[in-house]
Amino acid sequence: MEGVARVPQWRANLATIAALMARSRNELARVPGAAIPGLLAPTIFFLGLNGVFGALIQLRGFEANAYESFLVPVSMLQGAGFTGAASGVNLARDIEQGWTDRLLVSPAPRWVLLAGNVLGAGTRALLPATFVLLIALALGASWPGVAGLLVTYAMVVAMAAVAACWGSALALRFESQSAAPLMQAGTMALILFTPAYAPLTLLQPWLRSVAEANPVTEVLEAARQGFVGGVDWAGTWPGLLALLGLLAVLGAWALREMRRTAR
Amino acid sequence: MSALARNARVVRALGMRSVRQTFRRPQLMAPIVVFPTLLLAIQTGGAGSAVELPGFPPVQSFLQFMLAGAMMQSLMLAGNSGGIALAVDLEMGFTDRLFTAPIPRFAIVLGRLAGTAALGLLASLWFLAIGLLFGAEIHSGLAGALIAVFLVTATAMAVGGIGAAIALRTGSASVVQGLFPLVLVILFLSTAFFPEGLMIEPARTIAAYNPLSFVVEGIRNPIIADVDGGELLEAVLAIAGIVALGLALSARALRHRLRVG
Amino acid sequence: MPAASGAIVVEGLERRFGDVLAVRGVDLEVGEGEIYGFLGPNGAGKTTTVRMLTTLLLPSGGSATVAGHDVVREARAVRSSIGVALQEAALDPLMTGRELIRLQATLQGLPGGEGRRRADALLGRVGLTAAADRRVGGYSGGMKRRLDLAAALVHGPRVLFLDEPTTGLDPVSRKTIWEEVRALNDEGTTVFLTTQYLEEADRLADRVGIIDSGRIVAGGTPESLKAEIGHPHIELQLAEGSIALAEEVCAAVGRLLPPRDGRTVLVEVENGAADIPRAVRALDEAGIAVESLELVRPTLDDVFVAKTGYHLEEEDGEAERGAVPA
Repeated sequence: MEGVARVPQWRANLATIAALMARSRNELARVPGAAIPGLLAPTIFFLGLNGVFGALIQLRGFEANAYESFLVPVSMLQGAGFTGAASGVNLARDIEQGWTDRLLVSPAPRWVLLAGNVLGAGTRALLPATFVLLIALALGASWPGVAGLLVTYAMVVAMAAVAACWGSALALRFESQSAAPLMQAGTMALILFTPAYAPLTLLQPWLRSVAEANPVTEVLEAARQGFVGGVDWAGTWPGLLALLGLLAVLGAWALREMRRTAR
Repeated sequence: MSALARNARVVRALGMRSVRQTFRRPQLMAPIVVFPTLLLAIQTGGAGSAVELPGFPPVQSFLQFMLAGAMMQSLMLAGNSGGIALAVDLEMGFTDRLFTAPIPRFAIVLGRLAGTAALGLLASLWFLAIGLLFGAEIHSGLAGALIAVFLVTATAMAVGGIGAAIALRTGSASVVQGLFPLVLVILFLSTAFFPEGLMIEPARTIAAYNPLSFVVEGIRNPIIADVDGGELLEAVLAIAGIVALGLALSARALRHRLRVG
Repeated sequence: MPAASGAIVVEGLERRFGDVLAVRGVDLEVGEGEIYGFLGPNGAGKTTTVRMLTTLLLPSGGSATVAGHDVVREARAVRSSIGVALQEAALDPLMTGRELIRLQATLQGLPGGEGRRRADALLGRVGLTAAADRRVGGYSGGMKRRLDLAAALVHGPRVLFLDEPTTGLDPVSRKTIWEEVRALNDEGTTVFLTTQYLEEADRLADRVGIIDSGRIVAGGTPESLKAEIGHPHIELQLAEGSIALAEEVCAAVGRLLPPRDGRTVLVEVENGAADIPRAVRALDEAGIAVESLELVRPTLDDVFVAKTGYHLEEEDGEAERGAVPA
């Protein structure tokens, strides 16, 4: 059989990323009920935390007029975190079942294979985020406005990509789904060691210090803008910068692990 | 050797196996210990100002209040974990080995529960230690600590029975694992994390009738106050109710499994 | 560096896992357009060797070139030149067969239209057109292997790696795969085939390499290897009587071989069929009743026994070390 002519590398890369993103949506589209756990987890947290800690809004220091408004960006980011970590679990499953070998013996660059997984998580995160948002709005959360909504969704998609880099790195390192709790715990810690339950000024001193050092605090504050007040560039760029930094660090680690698979 | 001694030996052996299974795979410990500890840190750090709310019970600190909830979360996850492990045994065919052995059927479930109880014991000791390390007092002293440990261990067994029943009925680890969100829901709808009087409706009303609330209050009482016999009795009765439910469901599921293979 | 002459050239290839040296200095060469059979029991190092040649694993030592490219320094070029059907038939159960081959075409950088055309053609070639739009999760084992093979061919590779392509398949499916492999080879594709089935290696391979405990212990055409072993052997199934006595009697006729089971005696004879009457007379005089007697010419299993000291047993498609005391 003769060989074939190939498209330019940049076109092949884009086509591969698109194909892998499409594949990552298969489970949601083709397995009945597969979307439910991803929708349920952040929703349960939102409803549960709202029901449990909602009285905190009475404390001085909250800018929001409803605890739902304060909490919903947290739950949307949690959904992003779960989705990203789940993509890591899926990668671990693919490795265990040998599917990843099929990708690794192809001439597609390693970063392209990783990008497909990460960007797939980013787009899938829109589903749980939207679900939680609709529930929060039904329960009385403030409408964030178009600008606030765009900023929040941008933070959600990028946060999912960050979590997917984390999950992918662990999947490639351990080559086993048993690393799943570590994937979930890591993203959970990143998102919750922030002013998730209360503003910075009301946090216990130790958590306040941790939150101030945690880059995801900036992400959360940026995502929260529209729900508690106005949206502006000053409140947005620190979150974007934090996400870029996290993507750079975790993405580099995941890529390094991807390149080391042959060792 | 008497039949009782023989059965006890079998239960002990199966219990040791289930404990070893968990401790030999640290990644299985994460849900049982790490998650609740993480949440405890986040919640006490994030919502600690709640003690200033009018109507909050008199406590030394929010951490002192939250210890019971953290133990509760841990034991619930241990029960779920035990159910998953039993379901894996079923999927792998290991339980067939047990079913064909000359041991009473209840020993299979009891052995699994013994493992879950051990994890509950570990959880109670862990969180008591965490509490003491970070400055929380056990108001009723050693007696109070022992009561808390006893209640947590007993509840772990009770909840483990329900997990085992689900595993026996479904034979699927992924189904049991899928119940993890339900565990969280049940906990949120109790007084595990906040006083009932300060919860938002409808969570408040549900928590008032949730049997787990009685258990949590029983565990919390000796930590934040003098031992209250009434609270203790309510907790014991609630645990007994869960045990009865778990036993009934397990027995039925076991009969079903042996019927259908 | 000048391109190596063969399609696959391996020199002193090694792979270590911790303290275990799984592949211990393998040397082999596969010419263009050849079918090379790589034979050995489970754990011999076959899959590890294949994974190094397909760039999935880095060698710990030695070197290898595939399609003229070094597997370490020119890994991407190797991947563009090879097709791989791995042992686990790594398929996504949620994808359809057509989607999978199209994805493979995308991974190989084929233009969209060309990829679709080739996918359709290959699905037809392996007899999966009717099932092409069904999910892979519903395919039988044989269908999955055929799909895997088709996916490995979508970009017209120079070298095709097949890692135990028929393990676990029924005889009909196995035959289908064999026919396809031959057809590919007729079209000029070099095939590197690992197998634990002697018949597969015997029928398909132009040359065979036998690996055991990480080392090549024999290599050559199947005929030359069998000729090296030399002599045919007589297989006796006893109806009754002592196996030990039968072996004692047969030892006078030829050279005893390691027994396969408790009722069969194997004795190598120098003169082939001419030694049969001698054996029958000796057994008759000793009062040993024989159920059946067959003259068996050397097989690759005999080659294996001669080189390693034990049979390459086949039980339910799983070859194991069946070391049998002489």
